[in-house]
Amino acid sequence: MTDKHHNAEQHLREQHLMLDPLPRGQMNDMVMESMHTTSWKFWVVFGILSVIVAVGLFYSWGRLILEGVGIAGVNRPSYWGIFLVNTVFWIGISHAGTFISAILRVFKAEFRRPFTRAAELMTTFGLVQAGFSIFMHMGRVWVSYWLMPYPNQRGLWPNFHSPLSWDLLAITTYLLSSTMYLFLPLIPDMAMARDKSTGWRKTFYKILALGFRGTEGEWTHLRNAMNIFAFAIIPVMFSVHTIVSWDFAAATRPGWNSTIFGPYFVVGALHSGMGAVIMVLAVVRATMKNMKYFIRPEHFEAIGKLMLIISMTWAYFFFNDYMVQWYGGDKWTKQLLHWHEAGPLGWMWFAMLIFNVAIPWATLWNKKWRSNPWIVFVVGLLINVGMWFERYIIIPISLTINRAPFTWRMYEPGIEIPLGIGTLAFFILLYMAASRLVPLVPVWEVQEGQMAHSLKKFGRETVVTVSELE
Amino acid sequence: MTEQKSLLAVFSDLEPAADAIEQLRTLGVGDDCMNVISGVPVTEAMLGRPNQWTNVPRLALGGSLIGLLTGIFLAFLSPNMYQIQVGGQGFVPGPPSVVVIFEMTMLGMLLSTFLGVFLDSTFPNYRPMHYVPEVSDGKIAILIECVHVEEKKLTDALEKLGAESVQEAEAQHL
Repeated sequence: MTDKHHNAEQHLREQHLMLDPLPRGQMNDMVMESMHTTSWKFWVVFGILSVIVAVGLFYSWGRLILEGVGIAGVNRPSYWGIFLVNTVFWIGISHAGTFISAILRVFKAEFRRPFTRAAELMTTFGLVQAGFSIFMHMGRVWVSYWLMPYPNQRGLWPNFHSPLSWDLLAITTYLLSSTMYLFLPLIPDMAMARDKSTGWRKTFYKILALGFRGTEGEWTHLRNAMNIFAFAIIPVMFSVHTIVSWDFAAATRPGWNSTIFGPYFVVGALHSGMGAVIMVLAVVRATMKNMKYFIRPEHFEAIGKLMLIISMTWAYFFFNDYMVQWYGGDKWTKQLLHWHEAGPLGWMWFAMLIFNVAIPWATLWNKKWRSNPWIVFVVGLLINVGMWFERYIIIPISLTINRAPFTWRMYEPGIEIPLGIGTLAFFILLYMAASRLVPLVPVWEVQEGQMAHSLKKFGRETVVTVSELE
Repeated sequence: MTEQKSLLAVFSDLEPAADAIEQLRTLGVGDDCMNVISGVPVTEAMLGRPNQWTNVPRLALGGSLIGLLTGIFLAFLSPNMYQIQVGGQGFVPGPPSVVVIFEMTMLGMLLSTFLGVFLDSTFPNYRPMHYVPEVSDGKIAILIECVHVEEKKLTDALEKLGAESVQEAEAQHL
């Protein structure tokens, strides 16, 4: 019986990071080593991405600025094209960080601990790409300061009646707050890295650690601030994608004028965001040293479950939106729905449903499959493709059909394609650079969680217990 | 008269550190003369220490108020200065104003919360400070300042309670 108990205990420890503590110093060393160990393959990928960013993003953007938006495919009737598809897509990706870090923190979901930072980094880097995409769409970026509300000789003032102005406020608020929320829990890890580094790294971490020592006062201020952030950033996150949805829903266009667009967009954002998080975790675990200790199948299993629930919720909202539009019988909406399904890009509509609903449902119900990093990586990738298709269907494809049939014309992207690839490459590049400079695992949060977890015997069964330490 | 010195005692675990704090009190070292330095957030209750004062929630409240007023200014006052008639709406329509006020209030709250941590913790601070890097590796340090009790007596008591080291604290660049 003792052997059986011991085996059960051993099994639980192997499964759960929170039950498998290592000395703090060892965990610190593992995280530092993961940052310092860089293979030649890393630099090859880094180099290739740098070239893609230089050509796809900066050179192409330079051309767009010099030659004007005429070299982009946006034209009547699809004035909004891939730039805005990418804006919505990247804002969606950014939702995962807040979801994992704030919502799971508020609900004390313990499995979040080792990968909150990996998700928060996605938020900040995703929003950078979203910002780039909006400015590309704007065209004349040199007059972007006209968006700011300040008294000026031109007599211009932002129109706060417009969802586009709300966008500026919401995205700015979200970018600033998610960056601050990324930085606050990073301070103790920067202090750890400072204590463990020499040379230029020591200077770098010393500056970012701000002189943090870990005194009672410092922890109290930090804990209070993180609690405020965790609660306050959730409505901000919801507001951002709701406002993005109002860019569409507030227009009286067929297919867009829907009261359900707000929550539908938020759920869609979470869907693609969670898919992206799981992809990042699978890559980080496979390529970075010591990450197999911190990121385990239990984490993929837990995120896989969330992805399944989010996929079901997305399907529910999609059907709700579809049903009401289909039932309404408006001539142009009917035409649009037919265009979605049977038009030249109808394959995209079906692929969207297969990638966002059929594949997640067919795979993620199985605990063994959703615990497998590479299976969930593929599912996450397909979800992201499916969600990009969804935004493409909502924006340029839907814009093709309007109440003036003489304007109907298929959207053909031009310079948007290299620019879109450039933003994707830049996102990955920023992430790779961050993985060399920023401790991807918040060690102090992991240790805090390990302190709170223990095993307890109920009758003949060994179970996991969590203490409330705060 | 006893010389005023600072001591830094390092413990490997929470329990002996909590015992040491209690013992220090019986030796006449007040709570205001102690500070605990740790690599994880150890609550005051765990160490039997008085609650720490923080201004962060108040600053957050103040910031949200400033944000709210900014939002009200942008939504209700500024449109009157630059009048644009949009879609038959009034110059100051209700629902869009809610959006503007909400975003500005949240921005004010979160910015002031962030700045609150800087103000309360006096960040950034690159001056020499009392510290032991072992704290990052999970040790718990007790910094005893304004020591008016005999140093030897304190050192003996702390070592007896399991302190790994008790040394005179020297301010150093981190």
